[in-house]
Amino acid sequence: MGASAALLSAAGVIGAVVAMMVDGRRAVAIAVVFLAAGLAPTAATFGGAPGVAVLGACAIAAVLLALAGSIAGRILPWLSGLDPTIPAFAPSDRLFGPRSSRAFGAAAAIPVASWVSFNVPIGQITTAVQGLLFPIAYAWTCGVIRLLVARTLEDLAVGVAMVSVPTGTAWLLRSGADSFPGAVLACVAAPLAAFVAGWLNGRGARRTHSRVEAEG
Amino acid sequence: MNPLVTAAVWLALGLLASAALRRRTARLVAVVPLVGAGLTLLVARSSTVAVPLGGLDAITGLDRAGQGVLVAAGLSMTLVILLQPSIDVSVGRTIGIVGAAATIAMASSDPLVTALALTAAVATLVLRWIGQSPGRATLAAGRVTGTGTAALIAASPLLPLAGFTTGDRPIVVGALLATGVAALLAVYPLGGWAAGIMASLRPLDIAPWLILLVPVVLLIGERIPGGVLGDGSPVFEHVLLVVGLGSAVWGGIWAVRGPAAMRYGRVFMADIALCIAAVEGAPVSPALSGALIIVMTHLTVAPILLRSADAGLLWPRRVAWALLSGVPPAPTFWGRLLLLEALAAGNVGSTIAAVIAMAAIFIAAVLACSTRARLRPASGWSRRLPDLAAWLLIAVGIAIGLAPHSVSAFVFGG
Repeated sequence: MGASAALLSAAGVIGAVVAMMVDGRRAVAIAVVFLAAGLAPTAATFGGAPGVAVLGACAIAAVLLALAGSIAGRILPWLSGLDPTIPAFAPSDRLFGPRSSRAFGAAAAIPVASWVSFNVPIGQITTAVQGLLFPIAYAWTCGVIRLLVARTLEDLAVGVAMVSVPTGTAWLLRSGADSFPGAVLACVAAPLAAFVAGWLNGRGARRTHSRVEAEG
Repeated sequence: MNPLVTAAVWLALGLLASAALRRRTARLVAVVPLVGAGLTLLVARSSTVAVPLGGLDAITGLDRAGQGVLVAAGLSMTLVILLQPSIDVSVGRTIGIVGAAATIAMASSDPLVTALALTAAVATLVLRWIGQSPGRATLAAGRVTGTGTAALIAASPLLPLAGFTTGDRPIVVGALLATGVAALLAVYPLGGWAAGIMASLRPLDIAPWLILLVPVVLLIGERIPGGVLGDGSPVFEHVLLVVGLGSAVWGGIWAVRGPAAMRYGRVFMADIALCIAAVEGAPVSPALSGALIIVMTHLTVAPILLRSADAGLLWPRRVAWALLSGVPPAPTFWGRLLLLEALAAGNVGSTIAAVIAMAAIFIAAVLACSTRARLRPASGWSRRLPDLAAWLLIAVGIAIGLAPHSVSAFVFGG
């Protein structure tokens, strides 16, 4: 029995929407975990257990590297830097905030992903797949929208992760000898983005801590 | 030597320079691009041109043109550092990572590896830019270049296009690749970020993008339609032709109207936009030769013009602007003539737009030549060395103008 395209799509959409809305110091790791979980059914359908393992390893690596980056940023004493969760500039008060624009973007991504899924085949000429690209195209489009409306470095890192994980899953769909190496390579960007965000968070937290101590 | 080894040396030296050097020894950051350029000369030569439209494949060597671009860019970056009045050693890290990424992107024929290398370069640059000057312009740089590299990454699982040269797939791939190239080259409507960072950052912070990354992306962009792109080829070429010409006209106009401090950046953007428009608008033509001559001229004069006008070099700056004016025997005359010849073979609209852009660049160069600056008199060897280096660069620029094809063939191969 083949996998239900609707179920695969629903799982991908839930993962992408969570990744689109998440904010805060652990946003990248959370986004990668939810995206990997949401796209895992698609990966399992086309890549089997190794496909799920690629996404699982990506999620675990993102969590661990975010933690390692944060700890390293707190410990290493000779570096100081900017806080990735503080907006790079202060926009004027508006009726709709950053999350509203992201929610609007997530809604607008549905027809784009739907068109891609129905019209763009993926894979080699003999093993081409069509009509099952929706969760991947949706997560990727959401990632680009998150990049375009980013206000902080954390947003940019989440956007990179949101592009990386679905691209890795797309490599699993295309099948062929380079399918798994391609998937692994594409997924590498997500844990790296988590590490950089964790590192910057650690440094930001240390600076805030030392400022509080100095004032006390 | 494998290009990956060269990239590793770029990376290691960059990290080491930013960690070990202090203010007194900051100028030694120049060793990073100098060694990178030297090692690039030793890289194994590849007989085939790397077009990033294939499948996953091992990186084995660099083709002649790619090697020439990387060596020239490395030497130019070295001179940019040496001619700066003051240097922040942490820029060594950025230069190292961008140099390594440019080497891998140039050597790889796999779209995913190329896209990831460009993503690493752009992420490093954006982190530095936002750290140096948090604001709307630097954040926009992150948004747009991030979107550009995301588009290149997204195209990777859809390539190669063997068996799918018609239909929607090649068109989607062509659009994604055009978006990526336009965003990284800062071609309008995706180019506002570059104008913004030129206004808010020091020249040395912009130099890794301008000198190390842009020539590489330009060359990759030129090669893409040569691969199997099917129906995507006209999409890729026509999009870049139209936005390139529009961007060249816009950049030329703002080079005339805008502040003097941003004039060189605007002229550079306009020239690069003209190059990408011509090489995409007329692929089988003298456009590539013209683009390479223009790139080489910019790599020669950038070390002089990326130094602020108040920091000396008044006469070398004026002569450098004359070299960019497009008046013979300036090398840009030959470069722009070849671009115009290529565009004229297409249609009259392209030719008119290119002539307007070139006229605007000429006026901007004349305005820059006539700018006055108050200078402190130079005394001692340490103060006169920048003048000497600048005049040597001018001599190289004049040599390019006198024998453009020979010099171009020497640097980039026949």
